[in-house]
Amino acid sequence: MSVAIRAQHLRKVYPKSPVGPAAIDDLSLEIPTGRVYGLIGRNGAGKTTFVRIAATQLEPTSGTVTVLGFNVQGEEREIRPRIACVPQESRPLYFLNVEEVVYLYLKLRGLDSTDAHRRTRDVLEELSLTEYRRRSVARLSGGLRRRAMCAMVLASDADVLFLDEPTTGLDPIARREVWEAIRRASREQRTILLTTHYLDEAEALSTRLALVERGRVMLEGTPADLRARVRYPYRVVIQGSYPREELEPLGRVSAIEGGYLVFAREAEAREIARRALERGVRLSMGPVSLEDIFLDVVGRSIESDGSSEEEEAETEA
Amino acid sequence: MSQRNRLRSILTLVWLNGIVPIRDQPLYILNLLASPLSFLFFIGIVSRGALIAYGITGGMVLTMLSVGTGLQSDLTHYRVDLKFQDTVVASPVEAPVYVGGMALSEFVYSLPGLAVFVLLFVLARFATLESIVVLAGVLVLVWAFACALAFTLATYFRDVRETFLFSPLISLALTVLPPVYYPISSLPAWAQVAARFSPTTYAAALVQGSVGLAPLSAANAGIDWGVLIAFTVALFLIAALKARWKEP
Repeated sequence: MSVAIRAQHLRKVYPKSPVGPAAIDDLSLEIPTGRVYGLIGRNGAGKTTFVRIAATQLEPTSGTVTVLGFNVQGEEREIRPRIACVPQESRPLYFLNVEEVVYLYLKLRGLDSTDAHRRTRDVLEELSLTEYRRRSVARLSGGLRRRAMCAMVLASDADVLFLDEPTTGLDPIARREVWEAIRRASREQRTILLTTHYLDEAEALSTRLALVERGRVMLEGTPADLRARVRYPYRVVIQGSYPREELEPLGRVSAIEGGYLVFAREAEAREIARRALERGVRLSMGPVSLEDIFLDVVGRSIESDGSSEEEEAETEA
Repeated sequence: MSQRNRLRSILTLVWLNGIVPIRDQPLYILNLLASPLSFLFFIGIVSRGALIAYGITGGMVLTMLSVGTGLQSDLTHYRVDLKFQDTVVASPVEAPVYVGGMALSEFVYSLPGLAVFVLLFVLARFATLESIVVLAGVLVLVWAFACALAFTLATYFRDVRETFLFSPLISLALTVLPPVYYPISSLPAWAQVAARFSPTTYAAALVQGSVGLAPLSAANAGIDWGVLIAFTVALFLIAALKARWKEP
């Protein structure tokens, strides 16, 4: 398996906060070529900092990152023609129309008019943007603007795509259209580094995932690997009356509306299921979700804000 | 990136930032004309027409400086608000191509305004071969150093609002205090010395000299050209060394 992006002992401390917490702290990972790699974590976990370093937009403090074998420090000229990026919170220029957003980006990258027109037409069709192609960006919803940004880089000739929270603000149907375009890009052997808050998106698209917290990789692997490495790979939902003290020794129990949620190992989950059935209590059982894994590893929901905690820590220090 | 692709990128930026915005909102042209024409009007009224010729030559210099001010705002807005610069950094487009294309786009954007002043220049019977050559050379240099300065500053601004703070200060330092709209002899001696620190003083002296508004010997013209070119080269070197393409 060839590696498209390799980070070794990467560290980033922003110049304005030399004594503050590192945005990236000894992060090492390998992203295989031709796959979708998901980087998941809370706000402020370091995902965007990593993307910006790998996309040659930001200098690291120490450590190395290579993209397609070239170092992001000193070999940017080799990397840049081979990459494309949708930065976090980026927006298209408001006076362009949707077609111009994609077409002019491709021309800017040096594509000739024929190729740029063909790629623009195809990607607008694929992302259901054709009906909006003449509409000014100023008159688009936030979701359509974001889709236009995605269309721009997906239509490019780049081998490595950096998509930093590409589907934020999209409705479920539009998200799935973007997902399909990302899958197609992956089938074309392009490497995609995807950061997202949406764990279902990460799971649906990524061949491998890294769970990042406070600038470090907490867990890395395929979705199946991640499940295998958590303490409790099964979740059992019990609906109805059941003595909590009987559940406590078998796993981690939390009360939910009308019953309990229990995270347990396989044998214990089966035991709970057996006892519940004997008592005639309704239950459902299955492997843990990515959200459960995140909660287990980090101890907080992915929706909670990591950056504010860092700021609090700085204030306390 | 091949030379052909560089040219394609530059022309794309000219279209994208110089022509499409005017197509989208033609009032931008009036906006660009507002400052130089206001100065011309003000100078003309106050001097009872005596300094109107200075207003015309000064208006051309100010129009070129406005290109830099516009570039500064656009580059900051594109970098901070739209993350357009990050999108461009992660692409084959190199920093000089981006800056060159954006600077040229602002120049194209300023052409309608410049055309008004060229018309006034011709009507004032200033257009000779010598004055046209001098004017063209001076305006290119003013455009170049204004753009180099704008790019350097734009990479440091944290918000587009900071450009609102700096643009009037730059305008004050480069067009109001230096003798762009009036003869340098109108200034007190100490102010004449201070004005020598502004590149626009030399630009204005060359243009005013070429149309016969102020006496300019060949030796002084040579010095003025030399200093203006040196300022431009220095601002380009500062841009090359200090402007941030990749963030630290």
